[in-house]
Amino acid sequence: MSNDSPIIRISDVSKYFDDVAALSHVSLDIAPGEKVVIIGPSGSGKSTLLRTINRLEDISSGKIVVDGFDLDDKSVDINKVRMEVGMVFQSFNLFPHKTVLENITLAPIKLKGMDKADADAMASRLLDKVGILEKADVYPAKLSGGQQQRVAIARALAMSPKIMLFDEPTSALDPEMIGEVLDVMVKLAREGMTMVCVTHEMGFAREVADRIVFMDGGQILEIATPEQFYNNPQHPRTQKFLEQIL
Amino acid sequence: MKHQGKCVVEETQPIVIDVGDGAAIPKPSDKGLVSAWWLSFIGALVTLGCLLYFKPNPYWRIFKFIPDGILVTFQVTVSAIALALVIGLITGLGRISRNKYINLVASTYVEVVRGVPLLVQLFYIYYALGRVVHVPDLLAAVISMSVCYGAYMGEVFRAGITAIAVGQTEAARSLGFTRSQTMYYVILPQAWRTILPPVGNEFIALLKDTSLVSILGVADLLRRGREFASESFLYFETFTMVAVVYLIITLILSKLVSFMEERLSHHVKR
Repeated sequence: MSNDSPIIRISDVSKYFDDVAALSHVSLDIAPGEKVVIIGPSGSGKSTLLRTINRLEDISSGKIVVDGFDLDDKSVDINKVRMEVGMVFQSFNLFPHKTVLENITLAPIKLKGMDKADADAMASRLLDKVGILEKADVYPAKLSGGQQQRVAIARALAMSPKIMLFDEPTSALDPEMIGEVLDVMVKLAREGMTMVCVTHEMGFAREVADRIVFMDGGQILEIATPEQFYNNPQHPRTQKFLEQIL
Repeated sequence: MKHQGKCVVEETQPIVIDVGDGAAIPKPSDKGLVSAWWLSFIGALVTLGCLLYFKPNPYWRIFKFIPDGILVTFQVTVSAIALALVIGLITGLGRISRNKYINLVASTYVEVVRGVPLLVQLFYIYYALGRVVHVPDLLAAVISMSVCYGAYMGEVFRAGITAIAVGQTEAARSLGFTRSQTMYYVILPQAWRTILPPVGNEFIALLKDTSLVSILGVADLLRRGREFASESFLYFETFTMVAVVYLIITLILSKLVSFMEERLSHHVKR
């Protein structure tokens, strides 16, 4: 843990769908460069929590401050904040009508006014980084799931975000493709990116996470280092969950 | 049908894009329909050929009299569809708008237009326009047709837009695109592909419905036929000719739409 002031500050956040509490009184601070993995059974609110960080989900009460911007402050341009926060989805969500290269360059060109040559060069660099430079001119439908997800990561990185959110990035992948996506994520982690990942990949969590957050029933039940979390979980619910999956 | 504002607002139906009041569009897989298409098409051509060859009088005379009308029919159809597309886009976006007033206005427009017969609308708009400004018959016809078809087109746009997976919007928004940028760069270019076939369908339906404007004094295909018939008293012969010509035109167009559909689905599979 560093002593820097947190880049993400989630304070007493609750969210209700109709009468059901998807999140209840959740608080979590994340420091710059920190890697946090959120784990929990399905329906525990972990994806909802992740999606509140770039306000894809509105919150019912509480406060979220990202990189100094209070997301509920009316004067804050949420689109500006989102440019700083990359997101990778379970279902990739690449734009099917654009080539791989265009998928990556669309936002920098339209939102940052980057000129096309620079954007193309940057996209090529990112594609090289995620290991599929040769697919630059292909349409997403031609790619495997693992390749699509790597493009999705490159697309998010193209906006040079300070924070990357991963919403179960490997859950929709065939087992043999999970490794290639996790490798990219590990590489990203090593470069010092601030990462918040919802995932079921225990190996990844153990290797990369600075802290693991365990959620159930819309609440954070335990926050621990991977060491503590796997070897000496405190909360009975965590112990039960780990017994089931390990 | 519920008429409370709220119900209309939340009426995001599943993907029903089939607005099936046009000519049947032949599908490559649908062998029955394809042969029905060929049967009608060849039948129409043979009928036309025989009439012109064996009874040049009066059929050849009729055939030479009506082409101006075909041109006007196409003029009205193309102008009306172009205007209807614009109205339809606006209406479709209005129908999915989060602003409940815009939403209500768009929904009410659709309800009203769908509830009044096209012929009545034509008369109404024609005479209503006539009270305010003097517009040429042709323009009045085009405006009336587009107001009506704009509502149907709005439904086509709405269905096409809502058919795009929500993940596309989320991906674009998470990159920092605003709601309208997302619509413009991400959703509409994709929706367009889903929308094109039903738009082709509407085009054919519209072409047939333009026969109604002959009542407003627009010299379209039907009107030209009526002019010929009222001079020659050859009603049966004239309307045989008019019907065969309409049939040939719509059959050709429906085949074109079918080709277009096929190419588009190819494009998506790529």
